[in-house]
Amino acid sequence: MEQVIVNGVYLGSQYAMIALGLTLIFALMNVLNFAHGQMYVIGGFVTYTFYGQFGLPFVLALLMSCVTLAVLGALIEKFLFGPVIRRSAREESTMLLAAGIAFLLDALILLVFGEKQRGVPKIVDGVFNWDFRIIIPYDRVLICVLAILSIVAFISFMQFTRTGRALRAIAQDRVAAELMGVNVNRYSMIGFALGAMLAGLVGGLLVTITGVNLGMGGPTSIKAFMMVMIGGAGVISGAILGGFILGMLEAVGLAVLFQYGDITYLAIFVALMIFLAIRPQGLMGKPWG
Amino acid sequence: MTARILDFQDVELYYDRVYALRGVTLELTEGETVALIGANGAGKSSILRAITGLSRIKSGSISFRGERIDGRDTASIVSKGIAMVPEGRRVFPYMSVRDNLMMGAFTRTNREENRRSLDSVLERFPRLKERLRQTAGTLSGGEQQMLVIGRALMARPQLLLLDEPSLGIAPKLVQDIARSIVNINREDGVSVLLVEQNSRMALSISHRAYAITTGNVVISGESRELLNDSRIKAAYLGGAV
Repeated sequence: MEQVIVNGVYLGSQYAMIALGLTLIFALMNVLNFAHGQMYVIGGFVTYTFYGQFGLPFVLALLMSCVTLAVLGALIEKFLFGPVIRRSAREESTMLLAAGIAFLLDALILLVFGEKQRGVPKIVDGVFNWDFRIIIPYDRVLICVLAILSIVAFISFMQFTRTGRALRAIAQDRVAAELMGVNVNRYSMIGFALGAMLAGLVGGLLVTITGVNLGMGGPTSIKAFMMVMIGGAGVISGAILGGFILGMLEAVGLAVLFQYGDITYLAIFVALMIFLAIRPQGLMGKPWG
Repeated sequence: MTARILDFQDVELYYDRVYALRGVTLELTEGETVALIGANGAGKSSILRAITGLSRIKSGSISFRGERIDGRDTASIVSKGIAMVPEGRRVFPYMSVRDNLMMGAFTRTNREENRRSLDSVLERFPRLKERLRQTAGTLSGGEQQMLVIGRALMARPQLLLLDEPSLGIAPKLVQDIARSIVNINREDGVSVLLVEQNSRMALSISHRAYAITTGNVVISGESRELLNDSRIKAAYLGGAV
């Protein structure tokens, strides 16, 4: 029991960060970023390259993941999403664009990093063992703590800084934000960069545990969308809640259902469909329309 | 000699292919309160949207204190000293009252000045002071209107544009809001351009007024005289309280 909870919190902390990035981008630009999982994978590969291959300190490699994704996110917003949103009256255009970017990034990852599964040396050795009731390797503890600290930092940034306030203003009323003198184009770019950076950061954190490979992008995007649907799209608290709920469900599923085969996600999907039929706006979300 | 603060010359504005303004000319002298009256869809709001750059004009020119501002983006126009209270209030609904007000001072980064602005706004609207931590979306309509006027004042504008501040607000609060508009103009020396469907209220608190119909200025003059103008009476003051 304790073990399941600990596993759930550990998974949830990672998932919540992924969902936060996705929901931020959605709230700011009304864009469903299908390429979010690919951004996560790139973050993993960047940390692998700097920490695993070049032997740089892990923290530095993590920083490189953040910087790379922030720059990539800013470029994608400035040259792809921004112009398309300004010119196109139809929302499907940005969805198609997002899907296209997912394929593009997949191809780029294949080209630059190859198709192999990559892992890195452990960042810390040893296993925490409390009387065989909770067994968790120290590196997971560390990654979990780093993720939670990042979430706290992100929320504080959104809540207490001028930039964070401007981003929230855009998410709540774009025109009113413009009238306050917020340059919405510039801040959309900043927001997209921030969302992409969060994806890259989780990728860099998790490469130390699960490694990274080309095929992880799509499934990660799907998980991210599930979390956002559970919690409610565009709501920060919803993303965090959705992340931890999915993490917990997965942990419970793996502990309880494994004897019936690999059906955890089947069960989660069925549960999600029923849940969405009853509460389509998610737990924290405001109803559409 | 008082200076011209806003010069709106022969402006045409279209939404897609439908015209909203066809050759509207109006001006504001520093320290004036000017009202734009007229029916729904006459183009009053379009004039405000044109000034703040929310809508692009097709021809004509708009100058603020002698400087052309048409064609610029909203953020840079606003930072020159024009603040707009949009129609329907548009508070940031999930932000606290305090954060809403701080957003008003977004273009001003001097903390000390912003604190003073906040104090003076709260002095003008004491009800907001009691609700600083409350989420803006939970305020009543009248309180939200005070909030968005306060939010606009946080930028210490020279020109304040108000779009339908009395819409959907309890009659008693309309009085309060009308009084605060007068005070903002007299005490702070802010020039005000007021768009209102409540013509009687608008004419009673403004120096001059323009009546707009289907994208044209049809009548203009001193508000005091317009209140007794038979055409205005017939068209705009009929059943209005």
